[in-house]
Amino acid sequence: MIILFVVLPLIVAGLLPLAGKVSRRVLPDLLANATLLFLLVYAAVAGRALIAGGPVLHQSSWLGEAVGIRLALDGFSLLMLVVVSLVGLAASLFSIDYMEHYGAKGNFYALYLVMVAGMNGLILATDLFAVYVFLEVAAVASYALVAYGLGHDELEAAFKYLMLSVVASAFLVAGIAVVFGMTGSLDFAAVASGLRELNAGPVLGIASALFLLGFGLKAALVPFHAWLPDAHPSAPAPISAVLSGLLIKVSGVYAMTRIFLNVFGLTPALSTVLLWLGAVSMVAAAFLALGQKDMKRMLAYSSISQVGYVVLGIGIGTPLGIAGGLFHLFNHALAKGLLFLTSGSVQQATGTRDLDEMGGLAKRMPVTAVTNLVGALSISGVPPLNGFWSKLIIIVALVQAGHPVFAVLAVLASVLTLWYYLLMQRKAFFGKLNEKWAAVKEAPFWMTAATVLLALLCVGIGILFASTVTTWVQPAADVLADGIHAVAGSWGF
Amino acid sequence: MILQTALLIGLVVFSVLAILLKDLLRSAISLALASLVLGIIFFRMGAPYAGVFEISVVAGLVTVLFILTIALTKSGDEVRESRLANVVFPIVFVAFLAIDALVMKGLIGKVPALASGAEAGTFGEVLWKGRTLDLVGQIAVILAGVFAVLALFRKRDKHE
Repeated sequence: MIILFVVLPLIVAGLLPLAGKVSRRVLPDLLANATLLFLLVYAAVAGRALIAGGPVLHQSSWLGEAVGIRLALDGFSLLMLVVVSLVGLAASLFSIDYMEHYGAKGNFYALYLVMVAGMNGLILATDLFAVYVFLEVAAVASYALVAYGLGHDELEAAFKYLMLSVVASAFLVAGIAVVFGMTGSLDFAAVASGLRELNAGPVLGIASALFLLGFGLKAALVPFHAWLPDAHPSAPAPISAVLSGLLIKVSGVYAMTRIFLNVFGLTPALSTVLLWLGAVSMVAAAFLALGQKDMKRMLAYSSISQVGYVVLGIGIGTPLGIAGGLFHLFNHALAKGLLFLTSGSVQQATGTRDLDEMGGLAKRMPVTAVTNLVGALSISGVPPLNGFWSKLIIIVALVQAGHPVFAVLAVLASVLTLWYYLLMQRKAFFGKLNEKWAAVKEAPFWMTAATVLLALLCVGIGILFASTVTTWVQPAADVLADGIHAVAGSWGF
Repeated sequence: MILQTALLIGLVVFSVLAILLKDLLRSAISLALASLVLGIIFFRMGAPYAGVFEISVVAGLVTVLFILTIALTKSGDEVRESRLANVVFPIVFVAFLAIDALVMKGLIGKVPALASGAEAGTFGEVLWKGRTLDLVGQIAVILAGVFAVLALFRKRDKHE
């Protein structure tokens, strides 16, 4: 019943505004969090057993007749479903207290669940057009969520985000049209085998370029990143966490990787382009992050830089590189989700995001300070936290594959990352307490609980990294390393 | 052939007008005309369903929404556009036309394509049996749109 990942959040989303009329707080909180908890348990507990015998193919039928709902679950999609449910649940728990002062919680959760349904639909989709449709589902919900605060900045950021997303969608639809024109099909399996038959080098290059522009914009790789540092900080904190932790990865990295590696097949040229895009994003965004005074803006630039690592790892194309990239995707989702949530706690307590105005908050908000430190060190790649292992795997894979220059760049960007995160930690939490914040209190229960959950995961996965890699990451990397055979052979309906 | 060329030129001209015209109402009407022409092109190329939707939804419904929205704005609401856009658009447009004229004709013939049969089945069959997942996606987009309107036009709480 993998269709539940799409349909359940949609059904609950439909009920939520009504539930919000009955009970303004408790019922929406309960329904949304229970739905995400159910999806997490389903993915994490039942998922492994489901795909034990190869990918699960789902074909829906209506009144005994087959209809055109075809979904597929394999190692790669399972990893993504687990990440979405996990970070989605943490952000939703955080919202219980954080969204209190925004009002209209029923509506908020409804949009939130539609966004989750869109991401899950994209992850399970088996054809190019369905990828586009669900990408839009998640995007439309996210525009509204970015603007949820209704302030001038929020509305402007949402508009900018909308405009650049529309450009991305236009490129994607153009790319899909080129592929459809050549193969006469949209289905991943049929396109993969059709393209192999055609041997369509140059035209496939054009289609790849269109997809690269589209997904590059969605993943906010440099130089397509202009929208992200506005959109992500302006959103309410749990939404920033989901946008940076999940949405850019699902609608950018996941979709791009699935199509390039499993449908088109990774060519050496494409691999080089991905390596360069990844490296440029990684380094340029790290420098840009250094100069930020706004806490959430710094985190947003850091997201661009870390997605650079993920693309760099996957771009190597070797099994180890792909595993490193995917593991970093997983770790970054947890750690960046955590950091955006802690920044939300700080913003709610102090009313500012300006790092220069903060100072000494660790005395007033010890739990937030510690969890923020865990997230920061994890992203910077400090052992034994989870981010260290994934960066290490990427760097080892780069050296093994004969890209020592990129490996050095990856190390340098990591040093820069540590630098700006320590700056953030020092300016916000350490040092003398600014007198303005004498009355500041630790964040409410659910906000703290959500950040502690993610921080514990960062530490736990760092310690148990070997079993995490073999259980969740390796099956996903195997699917990608298999190239078009993973889809062309076994996804036929 | 002449009619087809005239329609295509009309499509480009009305699209460009929609971007360049300063008056929003005229701009919206140009866009409607452009999609009307596109709808006719769809009909002539054997895609009646696409044509019907293009004309009814894009030329019809969307234009009505645009005009209603424009009617709700006041004369003081104009936003001054940046000069840059006015300079950049024509340059990009001319460059695009030049590339189009030089490259596309040669390229189109070289696109390899698998032989594919004619579309099978009626509109309903294709939509319901072939693209059901897209319908689910459509429902989700509509839900997202409704919730977005509810959320963005909600009454703000007292403290705000």
